[in-house]
Amino acid sequence: MENVLLPNLAKIVKNEKMTAIERFLQAEVVDKKFAEIFDYNPGQFIEVSIMGVGEAPISICSIRTKKGSIDLCVRNVGRVTNAIHHLNVGSLVGLRGPYGNGFPMEEMEGSSLLLVAGGLGVAPLRSVLQYALKNRAKYKDITVFYGIRTYDTMLFRDEFYNLLAEGDKLGCKFYLSYEDAKDAKCLSLEAEHSDRCMSGVVTKLFERIKMSPKDTYAIICGPPIMYRFVVQELTKRNLPPEKIYMTLERRMKCGIGKCGHCIIGDGTSIKYVCKDGPVFTYWDALHAKGMI
Amino acid sequence: MKYVKLPKENFSAFVENLKTHGKVYGPVKVGEFYSFQEIKNSKQMSLDYPRTMIPPKKFFLTLKEKIFTFDEEKGKYEEALEEGKIVVFGMHPCDINALKLMDKIYIDEAPDKYYKTRRENAIIIGHSCHPDEYCFCQSLGTNYATDGFDIFLHELKDGFFVRIGSDKGNAIASENSKLVKNVESKDIEDFREAERKREEEYTLELNIRGLTDMLALAYESDVWKEYADKCFGCGSCNLVCPTCRCYDTVDNVNLNLKSGERLRRLDSCMLRKHGLVAGGLNFRPTRIERLRNRFNCKGSLRENMLNCVGCGRCTVYCPSKIDYVEVHKKVRGEL
Repeated sequence: MENVLLPNLAKIVKNEKMTAIERFLQAEVVDKKFAEIFDYNPGQFIEVSIMGVGEAPISICSIRTKKGSIDLCVRNVGRVTNAIHHLNVGSLVGLRGPYGNGFPMEEMEGSSLLLVAGGLGVAPLRSVLQYALKNRAKYKDITVFYGIRTYDTMLFRDEFYNLLAEGDKLGCKFYLSYEDAKDAKCLSLEAEHSDRCMSGVVTKLFERIKMSPKDTYAIICGPPIMYRFVVQELTKRNLPPEKIYMTLERRMKCGIGKCGHCIIGDGTSIKYVCKDGPVFTYWDALHAKGMI
Repeated sequence: MKYVKLPKENFSAFVENLKTHGKVYGPVKVGEFYSFQEIKNSKQMSLDYPRTMIPPKKFFLTLKEKIFTFDEEKGKYEEALEEGKIVVFGMHPCDINALKLMDKIYIDEAPDKYYKTRRENAIIIGHSCHPDEYCFCQSLGTNYATDGFDIFLHELKDGFFVRIGSDKGNAIASENSKLVKNVESKDIEDFREAERKREEEYTLELNIRGLTDMLALAYESDVWKEYADKCFGCGSCNLVCPTCRCYDTVDNVNLNLKSGERLRRLDSCMLRKHGLVAGGLNFRPTRIERLRNRFNCKGSLRENMLNCVGCGRCTVYCPSKIDYVEVHKKVRGEL
């Protein structure tokens, strides 16, 4: 019988600094047989184990590019993530998963996508974006809103700068907002691409676009405070709640609906964020208490 | 269902024979409480026990267990699963029904190997009970076990009316064919009479009609604050609840700092850290949210399925005397 709590070994092949607190890691699973079947969808997460330190759920930040490989963007906020930051190339970690439902990429086919990311929330949305760009013909417009605090906190800088500068050629409209209005690097970005970059919170970017609520899906990920404001903007523009997807953060210790930490909702609608989510619609949030 | 009769005089021999199926655990009085302990003979057991403090979930989802060892130098994880056969003797219907709820979490979806193995390695022998003033299992329909046991003993004046609930139970009955008899019409009448009387003994009731809606509608109610002010946040209710199954894991490192083990231990949703994520954000920061979450969780395992069996433990062992049924009455606005 399979043991769902036993991690699979993986080797770190890349560990690069992205910002002061975030690093990009690439790992490859050791077992060749497992590598064959190891695959994941945008929006799913993986439980990363560091021997002797513990285990933490980390969202996967890319689509699969190579058999057995996985990309993670990790912020140093706790014991496990701190240990992850200090991993050398070649060190072994344990992986369990992928877990969670992920975004319904097939259901959204034929529609426009609006991705709204705040800060580290861009990590899971990057895999959505990669998937949509890879299957570009299946979607109408692809628009990305990315909110950062300062230039120094911007993740995947080169990649997103590219999208900002020539996103339209690559198939997506990329907008950037920055909170620190005095940030010199952001200001120069704005000077360069004033139509796509502005200061303010991420919801300000809604001023820049026209949305057709009939055939648009919104996909949100960011700090908990962000959801309410983004949902407000979307609702104002008549996007129905069932077309607003968001991915939630909770303490997901087991990832498989057993350990009980990520429970949300009330007596009528108990949900496990790890198993029933982490992707929920705003409609779900309206009916399960304590979601956003 | 197959039925046999176990005469009183053959009871201790029957218990003795169970030892061939593994370590036998039964309800034993320890101080003023009862506990499932390994027994050497049937006389050690107090089968008239109202409830044990720690429910028999401890045999399946243990309070603390090693789930695997790791070795960084050798680069491997090694499963640590101790297999031992056990017989849990004298479980009450509520606890048997609680295990069935637990199975839904731990076996039905993404089976947990540790739990499932131990469930398969255990023989469950149920025993009839009499309710005290804290039992409200009748309201939940969990005061009778229709399945989930191998053998169930209903105590009669001159012995036991025995229900055989599984192939394993049938094999045990066959092994003990010299000790058991066929049921006669008088036994059936005695069994009916005992069950009838038992049904009348219940004094406490929990109204479960629309309970989940009542919980949802009381989400913003002051009830939670009122009881959170009384609650110590100690987590006793979680520990003694036969359906509470939250766990946490922790890694222990050996002195060489290269190898070690991962432990799993029961967790409690009443503790502050339960909803805390790295970075300091707590999704259930106050006792109000934690208490409300517990009651809502007990109110719903899944849609249309309560996660409570009415054993009364959380009320009995709450150091602050928070009464589960009373809280629900307040939730309904009846008090």
